[in-house]
Amino acid sequence: MSKLKINLGPQHPSTHGVLRLILELEGEKILSCEPDVGYLHRGMEKIAEKLSYIQYLPMVDRMDYLAGFFYSELLCRTVEKAHNVELSARVRAIRVMLLELNRIASHLLWIGAFLMDLGATSPFFYAFREREQILQYFEKISGQRMMNNYFVFGGVRRDVFDLEDVESILNLLPQKVKDYERIITENPIFLQRTKGKGVLTPQVAINNGITGVNLRASGVDLDLRLKDNLYCGFYVQPVVLNGKDAWSRYKARILEIIESVSIAKQALEYLKKDEDLEQNLINPLSLKLPKGEYYSEIEAPRGIASIYVNSDGGLSPYRLKWRTGSYYAVNLLRKLLVGTYLNDAIAIAGSLDIILPEVDK
Amino acid sequence: MNWLEFKNIFGDSELVGDKIVIKSNLNRTIEFIKKNYHFDFLKEILAVDKMDEGIELIYRLYSIDNEEEVLVSITVIDDAESVSNIFDSAVADEKEIYDLFGINFVGNKELKRLYMPESWEGHPLKKNYVEKDERLSWNE
Repeated sequence: MSKLKINLGPQHPSTHGVLRLILELEGEKILSCEPDVGYLHRGMEKIAEKLSYIQYLPMVDRMDYLAGFFYSELLCRTVEKAHNVELSARVRAIRVMLLELNRIASHLLWIGAFLMDLGATSPFFYAFREREQILQYFEKISGQRMMNNYFVFGGVRRDVFDLEDVESILNLLPQKVKDYERIITENPIFLQRTKGKGVLTPQVAINNGITGVNLRASGVDLDLRLKDNLYCGFYVQPVVLNGKDAWSRYKARILEIIESVSIAKQALEYLKKDEDLEQNLINPLSLKLPKGEYYSEIEAPRGIASIYVNSDGGLSPYRLKWRTGSYYAVNLLRKLLVGTYLNDAIAIAGSLDIILPEVDK
Repeated sequence: MNWLEFKNIFGDSELVGDKIVIKSNLNRTIEFIKKNYHFDFLKEILAVDKMDEGIELIYRLYSIDNEEEVLVSITVIDDAESVSNIFDSAVADEKEIYDLFGINFVGNKELKRLYMPESWEGHPLKKNYVEKDERLSWNE
């Protein structure tokens, strides 16, 4: 049979952005896959070298538009670490609550989009219905639905309010997730398309730098929230599954929503005490980082995200580098898709939860 | 990891802060650390342009079993040894550094432009990039 080279993307609806996969096919079998990225390259690292830290802070939300809080938190954390600023318990609780709500919103979008890729349209609307409530709360407190720019160096922009909104979202979610499970998890078509597809063994996953839910669905227990100072005092139970396939990655995300609800509830309980907001804000105008190298990392929805800042003591970083989970997931496609069929390629690539602004930086 | 034992084998290495600074044998060092101390996960490879000294590459190795991290640093001029035969994730990192810093990783067969178009000249994250590039003269 003759070989055929096709482009999947960059405008293919199931690539979630602009990812181009150059596939070599024999019949429907994939012989090789070459991801082509860079359509969204904004030069986030180069721009950082020209801006002061406070000027750069609104930009970092755009690293991953579905999980902007995580990247704000990383930059704030680095500056706080450099200046030895301790966060008050209330600020920490606010941050944990918003991060976990953000994680839930991100996973909900993934569930909708993944099922849409597989041809099921209604879960998309259900998932977006719940996600909308979270975004509306974000809009209420920060004025923005997605690019929140709410964390600042040493604290948050203002205290949270209308906590009963959060409570109703968190009480609603477990029963809604049960509904999703009822229509998706044991659906025979869904099972056929995902069970045993895209099997990722722990060795291959670790060797390829895969982290986050994708790694935990392959049976490796690596969750940075357990060692994170921000989460100190919160009870976190990482979701580790042993299925290794696309279905398992779906199930892990469903379970992680429930887990995030429980963490957010712990934070909410604390916030209900109604203490005064104590902040140790750092004056951003003359903000300089002492000379040296700073590493910070966090468990983002798409794997370990980390930042490296090399400061020469000036107003802007000498060098700033991001590590994002999706970049390695895209690279993994070169291996994971080989030997599978074209119709499975969408299911496998979708199950890794790739988001392109994070890849292209 | 056992620093003294490591120092015995790799004599030209130094401990600066929390970084192991080596001068040569990059590939062998990384392989040794992976095999003997179970650092099975390469978090990322960082590159920092140090102007006259060259470009510093920092390898962040992590051990999932021992929850330990080690940093290995080497300063190179144009060429560096590739570690893509040890870690598959290094292919991705080295590609990015090749595109943005112009380091040629000997042994990595996948080196080509990643974010920049194929025809692009220069490597954007180098510190002397803007002075050299006429296309960006409006920026000055």
